[in-house]
Amino acid sequence: MSRPAPLPDLVTAPYWQHVNEGVFALPRCEACGRHHFYPRGNCPHCGSPRIVWAPASGRGEVYSFSVVYRAPGPAFKDEVPYVVAIVKTQEGPHLFARIRGVSPDEVHVGMQVQVLIEKRAEGAALPVFVPRAA
Amino acid sequence: MNAAIAGVGESALGSVPGMGPLQLQRAAAEAALADAGLTLGDVDGLLTTPIRVAPWAMPVGMVAQELGLRPGYLATLDVAGASGTAMVHHAAMAVATGQAQTVLCVAGQNQLSHASRGAAVQQMADAGWAHPQFEAPYGPLVPTLYALLAQRHMHEYGTTAEQLAEVAVAIRGHAALNPLAQKRGPIGVADVLASRMITSPLHVLDCALVSDGAAAYVVTTRERARDLKKPPVRLLGQGYGFTHAYIGEHDQITTTGAVQSGREAFRSAGVGPQEIDVAELYDCFTITVIVELEDLGFCAKGEGGRFVEGGRIGPRGALPVTTHGGLLSAVHPGLAGGMFHVIEAVRQLRAEAGERQVAGAELALAHGNGGIIGIHCTLVLGKG
Repeated sequence: MSRPAPLPDLVTAPYWQHVNEGVFALPRCEACGRHHFYPRGNCPHCGSPRIVWAPASGRGEVYSFSVVYRAPGPAFKDEVPYVVAIVKTQEGPHLFARIRGVSPDEVHVGMQVQVLIEKRAEGAALPVFVPRAA
Repeated sequence: MNAAIAGVGESALGSVPGMGPLQLQRAAAEAALADAGLTLGDVDGLLTTPIRVAPWAMPVGMVAQELGLRPGYLATLDVAGASGTAMVHHAAMAVATGQAQTVLCVAGQNQLSHASRGAAVQQMADAGWAHPQFEAPYGPLVPTLYALLAQRHMHEYGTTAEQLAEVAVAIRGHAALNPLAQKRGPIGVADVLASRMITSPLHVLDCALVSDGAAAYVVTTRERARDLKKPPVRLLGQGYGFTHAYIGEHDQITTTGAVQSGREAFRSAGVGPQEIDVAELYDCFTITVIVELEDLGFCAKGEGGRFVEGGRIGPRGALPVTTHGGLLSAVHPGLAGGMFHVIEAVRQLRAEAGERQVAGAELALAHGNGGIIGIHCTLVLGKG
């Protein structure tokens, strides 16, 4: 069974277009200058519709995480245990993701991470995070 | 507000094979009406919630049709897990404005028996609690979304797995005294810690059950309630709180909308947390209870873990919490799960709670939490 693939919509399409080109980009409001996530048609801070997309640093730290031992369905069964996390990006917004490239036992809150865009067998690319040397 | 809860009831609970959602809801409705000394013919208002086991386009229409009602006020209410408490307030508003005189609130389903347990888990994971584009592709269970809260709470405040387990132990202790509870066997902290790790730091005993069952309560005017069979329970105050639709876009996940809902509920009731005799807190996971205790003001922020130690929220504790056994040990059939907290508050205030009765309970709090700790409704209930 295949994994639930992201189905981009009008507002989120730029995110996935960037990801599929191997670029990690975040939306930023031209009016107030702040980043936000998830993508919105209007800035959640000031309400402006002037949203632009720009490549982001891809750096962040683990805000919280959980090691999943029981898969939510057959699509994830072969991967357990795996680490689901919320990453606080250097730009500010939180990002929900996976932590890869490290044993689940070593993941901790505050761990410095860097984005890695994974090409998936099914075709869709998905950003994950890997440890970054301090 | 001129409104009171006049009757409460439930269907058979736990594993109830052979009953669909409408049969369960009818059983609960009839029990609540009988408790009040009323019949379906007295009902002129109807509230329900969505269900998951069947694709109902119009839940309240399905329930009205089943019960043969033509109510002058009806709605499907959906504030997720907070619906069980919020329906009391919506029914009370309908009664207080004169739109209806007797509002039946009923919900429930065969969440356990309609499919295999694995299918039920996957169905919940696919139900949209995780953002379909930005969260679900990473494979979280619904419990994972709460595990993220638990892990962050541990990091910020030093909360421990043992303290989370204390919540499960206390609530199982209450369930052991409730003949209707699905899980009644006593457990200790070591049992919780030794139970299967589902999504760290949450073990299976940190997580809600999956159950069949339906719940119902009847709301009417205070005057009418006084003439009915059972002592009325009055809605003294209520509050709502909202912070986020998805956990991934909440910047401070350890502080919830229960701050806002609790503050307003206490303000409108004119009482404070220290006056509450029994707190029926929404307990989808052990961490939920710890965060609610903090955000509702029963203890300082970050102190929830220490607060629950030593059986303080268990039977005969200083603050008995979720005294029917809650979603963790008594019953959890989806959105209706939060209605049982209201039913238990009513039974405690009527001194009908048998072995688990909190002596002299005068003021009860019932709290509902929906989504991934994003939406809250708090009620303060009292006698009369």
